[in-house]
Amino acid sequence: MSVQVLVLTGYGLNCDHETAYAFELAGAKAGRIHINSLIDESIDLKDFQIMVFVGGFSWGDDHGAGVIQAVRLKTNIGDKILEFIENGNLVLGICNGFQALVNLGLLPGFDHDYKSRSVALTFNDCGNFRNQWVNLTINPASPCIFTKGLDQIELPVRHGEGKFYSDEATIKRLDKNSQIVVQYAMPDGGLAEQKFPFNPNGSVYDIAGICDPTGRVFGLMPHPEAFNHWTNHPDWARRKERLKRSEMPIDSGPKIGIRMFQNAVEFIRER
Amino acid sequence: MPYRLEITLKNELFDAEGEGVRQKAKNYFGIEIDQIRTIQVITMDAELLSDQLKTIQTEIFTNPVTQVSSFDPLPIEFDWSIWVGYRPGVRDNPGSTAVEAIEDILGIEFGPNEAVYTSKRYCLKGKDLTAENADKIAGELLANDIIQQWKIFTKEDWDPDVGIGLIIPKVILNHNPTVTTIPVADDSTLERVSNERNLALNPNDIPTIRAYFLNKNVQAARALAGLSDPTDIELEYISQARSDHCNHNTFRGLFHFSDLETGQREEIDNLFKTCIETPTLKLKKKKPWVVSVLWDNAGVGRFDENHHYVITGETHNSPSNMEAYGGALTGIVGIYRDPMGTGKGSKLIMGSYGYCVGQRDYSGDFMPHLHPRRLLDGVIEGVRDGGNKSGIPTTFGQVFFHPGYMGKCLVFVTAVGLMPSMIKGKPAEKKKILSGDLIIMCGGRVGKDGIHGVTAASETFSEHTPAGHVQIGDPYTQKKMHDFLLEVRDEGLIRYITDNGGGGLSSSVGETARVSNGCEVQLEKVPLKYEGLDQWEIWISESQERMTLAVSPEHLDRFFELSKKHAVESTVIGKYTDSGKLHITYDDKTCAYIDLDFLTSGFPQWEFEAEWQSPAGRGLFEPVLIEPQKYENLLTDLLSRPNICSKEWIIRQYDHEVQGTSVIKPLIGANRDVNSDAAVIRPVLNSKKGLAFAQALLPTYSKIDAFHMTSCTIDEAVRRLIAVGANLEQIGGVDNFCWPNIQYHAVNNPDGKFKAAQLVRSCRALRDICMTYEIPLLSGKDSMYVDGYLMGRYGESHKISALETLQFSATSVIDDIERCVTMDCKEPGDLVYILGKTLNELGGSEYYENFGHVGLNVPQVRPAQFLTLYRALSSAIENELPASVHGIYRGGLGVHLAMVAMGGNLGMKVDLNLVPADHVDQNDVILFSESAGRFIVTINPKEKETFEKIFNGLPYAYIGTISEKSDLVINGIDNRTIISIPVQDLKAAWKKPFGELI
Repeated sequence: MSVQVLVLTGYGLNCDHETAYAFELAGAKAGRIHINSLIDESIDLKDFQIMVFVGGFSWGDDHGAGVIQAVRLKTNIGDKILEFIENGNLVLGICNGFQALVNLGLLPGFDHDYKSRSVALTFNDCGNFRNQWVNLTINPASPCIFTKGLDQIELPVRHGEGKFYSDEATIKRLDKNSQIVVQYAMPDGGLAEQKFPFNPNGSVYDIAGICDPTGRVFGLMPHPEAFNHWTNHPDWARRKERLKRSEMPIDSGPKIGIRMFQNAVEFIRER
Repeated sequence: MPYRLEITLKNELFDAEGEGVRQKAKNYFGIEIDQIRTIQVITMDAELLSDQLKTIQTEIFTNPVTQVSSFDPLPIEFDWSIWVGYRPGVRDNPGSTAVEAIEDILGIEFGPNEAVYTSKRYCLKGKDLTAENADKIAGELLANDIIQQWKIFTKEDWDPDVGIGLIIPKVILNHNPTVTTIPVADDSTLERVSNERNLALNPNDIPTIRAYFLNKNVQAARALAGLSDPTDIELEYISQARSDHCNHNTFRGLFHFSDLETGQREEIDNLFKTCIETPTLKLKKKKPWVVSVLWDNAGVGRFDENHHYVITGETHNSPSNMEAYGGALTGIVGIYRDPMGTGKGSKLIMGSYGYCVGQRDYSGDFMPHLHPRRLLDGVIEGVRDGGNKSGIPTTFGQVFFHPGYMGKCLVFVTAVGLMPSMIKGKPAEKKKILSGDLIIMCGGRVGKDGIHGVTAASETFSEHTPAGHVQIGDPYTQKKMHDFLLEVRDEGLIRYITDNGGGGLSSSVGETARVSNGCEVQLEKVPLKYEGLDQWEIWISESQERMTLAVSPEHLDRFFELSKKHAVESTVIGKYTDSGKLHITYDDKTCAYIDLDFLTSGFPQWEFEAEWQSPAGRGLFEPVLIEPQKYENLLTDLLSRPNICSKEWIIRQYDHEVQGTSVIKPLIGANRDVNSDAAVIRPVLNSKKGLAFAQALLPTYSKIDAFHMTSCTIDEAVRRLIAVGANLEQIGGVDNFCWPNIQYHAVNNPDGKFKAAQLVRSCRALRDICMTYEIPLLSGKDSMYVDGYLMGRYGESHKISALETLQFSATSVIDDIERCVTMDCKEPGDLVYILGKTLNELGGSEYYENFGHVGLNVPQVRPAQFLTLYRALSSAIENELPASVHGIYRGGLGVHLAMVAMGGNLGMKVDLNLVPADHVDQNDVILFSESAGRFIVTINPKEKETFEKIFNGLPYAYIGTISEKSDLVINGIDNRTIISIPVQDLKAAWKKPFGELI
């Protein structure tokens, strides 16, 4: 049986093509499905095992990034999404998708409460949209399905509202539950400790992504799907030259960004 | 009744927006403010119950983690509070999405008179703030009076219960749509009406227009349709179709060219035909990859067996000059509609920008509507929101500062799309319309937007007058439409598609009706933003985010099913016919009935006097300069010049990686902070094939000769592509001319004849270079009136004309992206080569400009010679020999050696006496001459022999090595070290001017 991935589209979402491609590289079958096709029931969420909230500017990011997307989904198919999660499936939110997940309340999902908003992604401290690659360190203790076996990764961020924010108690709880999955880091792997541009948005505790207590719902600001080929990496030409000199084979094919998608697909296959 | 909700960030949260305004107030005006807090204001003009209001407040507009809100004014402390909202009729994007969200969550539908308006209130704290300063911050930083209104409150006059009050910027026209008949008794009457109504009819066209309406046969046919003299809608249609913007009358004009020195005179009939169309058609015959050029909204080239790429570029100068953010946003979103309307439609895969503005720190006497700094901020943000929110990577861009752009700035926008080569077994680039096909308008609604462009700016405002002449683009609505159109295209439902840009329906329906040879439009079916538009206004309104399609009636149901799925509004507004007539009715009454072939026949050609005088003949000369002694200071100063220095802050605001296709990013190198020569993307994700893109503009050379400006600009764009490894045989070009007015007038445009001659010479250079380099011009546009009037210190006004400017965009394919090269040096010990010859060509250079000189010896392109070298370099890259390749562009060898070193964060040692040069005996000439046709290449020493063999017989030299040490060391002609400076110092100088900006 092939793993079926639902990649949301419509209303200003825009990373659907490459996200679907990344899942295809990981061995799944990915369909780009319009939000309205779920609402009018021409597509049934039950036919899928992984649901992806992709990056983009849903509703132009007006009134808070991901807010109106969350309102529309909660109002029309909120119950179906909860049922999807309860059935042991996977949910991934990238960038605008992460923003939608926290506004839906699917994250952080403390005590099976998938409805309350207790964390937020707000305006970058630098005051502007920013596109750059970041170093990320991955929490080995986290239950997150997507990051199994990964310890560090470089990915691009591309957002204006990526500052992770919550009160101290919530952060402590996230930390205690090992729900803090990815954090902005220095090139040497140590935490960025708020240092710009390594932490590009001022996120508290350098948080770049969190999961729910089960590890099956995961949201992050950086874009793993944008690292679907080794030439996506900003240093690839430098790296290629170095490898050539040491007569090592040149990299090719999908890279580390795809690992997150592979982990998800393997989890579904093996469950 | 209306409700007003105020929302703000919780006190403990950092207000990045407020802080941004605070810093700008300090940096721009020297006004010290302690703190600014921002409040979002949502004014709902709708019938809502109190529990509904509560739901809206908590579920949509207030984030419980970060925000607080209240239907009463929020008690945020301030010394001054400034409220800023839109004027009536200005596109309020968050207002529209708010309606969508409210309707969704409450399960209600807003009535036609209900709406949501968004605005902002800023709370400023600072003891030294004066009324004058508050006014300056409101009018010159927060709001633009063309689209916005504002109110300023002091702590004392603030009523905590009333707050800002309830401000509803609703458009109320109270007008019955009326068609007016215009008498054509004589030429002068029509000319008077043309002036009164801002029709801008060319006086030479008026007799032709009159003759048509006085023709007996025409009159008889019109009488049957119920018409006599022309109606306003008909004259608006003619005026729009005959405008220079739509018809390119200048480029199709007759030029009486004379060389004042030789006395030689010649007539040049139609620059477009002779310099653009004919050469491109010749090249198309030779190059099967050229799929479709010269007729559609954009040009089409073959990408691979199954895909074509689509490219076009234009400018959005006048609107951006008035309202920088809205103008630039409308510009980028507008150009994105061109590929969407090319063939049966393409997906957008890339965009780029080019900004020409006055100096950012301008402090002279002129008082432009927007200071260059504010203008630049605005256009940057406009293109940012337009590109990012459309999900299209902005991978390349240029900025050029010059005082000549203070009269009118230039905002270039370029779009690249991708289409499958076949749709349902038929070529995707071809389209047709059959009589009986339905005319469908989809996307946004129609208001008074963009009617007669900026001429409306002189009208006085009332409280409910729509401020529609300057628009704000809506990338969200357009992105929905983009996704929708691709789905209907792939199902084979589109027969024909074009965009609604300049001229609105008049242009899109008017032009497409020629394909089937007729149309009938029922104007009352066009969905409006508000009631009360006259018929002619509906017809020519430039309201954005709209496409016009021809759809066969059999596909109608499926078309509307998908339209609903994508939440896109589509409306059948008429049908195509083969009657030969443009027939428009409103409530069954005919208001226009014109023979479609009228516009293609009989109008007089525009004529221009062009007088050329050589640069030497005009008195230009080389300055007398004895060689400098402080080369290190000179180099760092050049790196800090505005047109050379780093502009990373702009590039990082643009998403250049969305779609996951990025191969060569705009910023690269060891620290990912130096500009790449060209952008490369991999638009088909499962293929290794790439698309390279680069642009150039070198307007300074026009001070000497626009011929060489043009050839050098094209050469630079080509070299940028070659440098990354693009295929030399498949380069396509896009020419964007921006010229000051070339129509001579003894008083208003005394140098018009010279500017006309510059245009003729520029077009000839375009023709010559493109023929030799074999670059078909896939697309191009011209903007012919880059002039403005600025008031000076004494109340006098000066006409400011831009430099004659050409932006050239070039694109090509790359068979294997893994062979691409970047410009940063890679490893210590690598050998540094120069390809191409350096001549004494400092005329118009950055070096001369640094001293206030122009000079005479402008760089010249020797295309046939250069081409041999380019082929050799392409072959070296094909064989993966170079470790880095970088063109030598503005600033010359010195500046670009620094770039290569900065890119790799490594030192470099070179000898100038090894540089291939002709008639050069000074170090400054070698270092800063801007001779075209040159590259800096670094290679692994192991490849030396193979590499040099390729260049045997060509001008090249090994001039030094990359070093572990972190200094750039340059030995002069006499072998003395003239520069020895840490690369980090060079980088610091290069980043100094704008390094602090984010």
